Amino acid sequence: MKSILKIALGIIAALGGFLDIGDIVFNTQAGALFRYDLLWAVALGTLGIAVYAEMCGRVAAVTGRPVFDVIRMRLGFGLGLAALIASTAVNLLTVAAELGGLAIVLQLLFDAEFSLFVVLAAIGLVIVVALLPFGGIERLFGYCGLLMIVFVATAINQGPDWGAVAHGFIPSFSSSTLYLYFVVGVFAAALMPYEVHFYSSGAVEEHWDESSLMENRLNAIIGYALGGVLACSLVVVSGYLFHPLGVDPADLGTAALPVQNAYGETGLLLALGGIMFCVGGAAVDSSFSASYNLAQFLGWEWGRYRGPKKAPRFTASWLVFLFLAMLVVLSGINPVEITEYSVVFAVVALPMTYLPVLLIAGDRSFMGDHANGPVSRTLGWAYFALILVLATAALPLLLATNGGGG
Amino acid sequence: MQSRRRRPGVAATAVALGVSLILLSGCGDLSRDELTRGVESIAALAAQGQLVANGVARDGTKSTYARVMAKTLGGEAEHEAEKLADAEPSPQVRPERNAAVQVATELAGLFSELQTFPGDEHHGALVEKHMGEVEAQAEALVERLGGDAG
Repeated sequence: MKSILKIALGIIAALGGFLDIGDIVFNTQAGALFRYDLLWAVALGTLGIAVYAEMCGRVAAVTGRPVFDVIRMRLGFGLGLAALIASTAVNLLTVAAELGGLAIVLQLLFDAEFSLFVVLAAIGLVIVVALLPFGGIERLFGYCGLLMIVFVATAINQGPDWGAVAHGFIPSFSSSTLYLYFVVGVFAAALMPYEVHFYSSGAVEEHWDESSLMENRLNAIIGYALGGVLACSLVVVSGYLFHPLGVDPADLGTAALPVQNAYGETGLLLALGGIMFCVGGAAVDSSFSASYNLAQFLGWEWGRYRGPKKAPRFTASWLVFLFLAMLVVLSGINPVEITEYSVVFAVVALPMTYLPVLLIAGDRSFMGDHANGPVSRTLGWAYFALILVLATAALPLLLATNGGGG
Repeated sequence: MQSRRRRPGVAATAVALGVSLILLSGCGDLSRDELTRGVESIAALAAQGQLVANGVARDGTKSTYARVMAKTLGGEAEHEAEKLADAEPSPQVRPERNAAVQVATELAGLFSELQTFPGDEHHGALVEKHMGEVEAQAEALVERLGGDAG
């Protein structure tokens, strides 16, 4: 009974922590521009992250090795270093985007100078991380992120044409570069590399072993599938309200407007609260990921469970990443723009993250009986091929659409 | 000799052509499509503004949210007005450009009003109504310009 409860709580945390600013920005814009037409890309991305998160969690549980350890081992020092540089740059942009998003929500709630909230948000995150153990951090942001369910309620309340919504799950293609850019963006937002870095390092932080494999599978499959429902609800509410009006949700606050429209002030507060915990949680996850990668690559002691005294360089690097991200946001660049660049650049770095995972998870000499079965292997390679195509197309599409500006 | 006489003529023509190109490069740099896209942005901002104002009008929002959103969207409307005012339109679309600047400026003013009274339901209702009119004006302009910019 206790283990069932533990698994259920893990699923809830995975669900609440599924969304980040990339999902919120890209999915809301995708709905406004293309109504329900890109729901299939959200579903495809959700299945992709579930497949790879399950593999990463399994590798970590069986071998005790998190993703970046595996990358270094499989790619060697040179390519591993290239992967480290690419993922660190993307992680830094992601932390900046999430921190900026957190500051925007705080500004919408309390209306003072944006720069003040950037600093307060960074200090708040440091306090939360200092006070709570790893599991506590995960649960705080995961459970509170469940406030995002208000978007699902809004979608149901709006009463959209469910036939059209269902039709959106059938893949459709267009020669429009803007459409293709959003296919890449929506897909990549679900598969951000920091998510698997954090997930696998978190498995080590929580001392997973082979007995945790069921928990890992259920977290990845049920937690992420339900998270995908939240992601789809963003597209649906935006497609229903914004698409007919031609609204361009270029600001994070606009994402909450459909909920305000349906449920008034209470709905607005729930939506802003949900966004705040999602982006706050993602800021912690992505900054931790940056430090995990660095520490794992350089062989430092790492882990929140070890504390600052036993893992001083890991703790210091985390604080440095957060500080650098704060400087990026304070430089005046719009956090939504940072988000778009971080997501698109992440696509380019994706192959270097996912290939080593795929190779290790399928290696019987390493994983024994827990190596990839036919389903994981087929899905893993199919997704890797897709990732390669998108990684090739991402930058040309970014340039051709002027960063999604059309 | 003839060719010598012609040379200054050719040079003068080339210089005249060059000068004309330089002078013309400052004119007509705002195409019909670009102007249409600008006006569509104004209409979209007005639509979004109506949603924010509607929340104020029915006491269904938080005043800090309405104020910050009004400030952000108002800034975007003002930026659009400045961008259109700074651009040199081709003579065929000059009246529409001027009208677009006026509409964008009016919209920025409405956002400013919403920013000042984010908790006043009466003001919210008035602003929502006026923003609806501004949106209609912008859409009429798009129509005059020949529809979607694509």
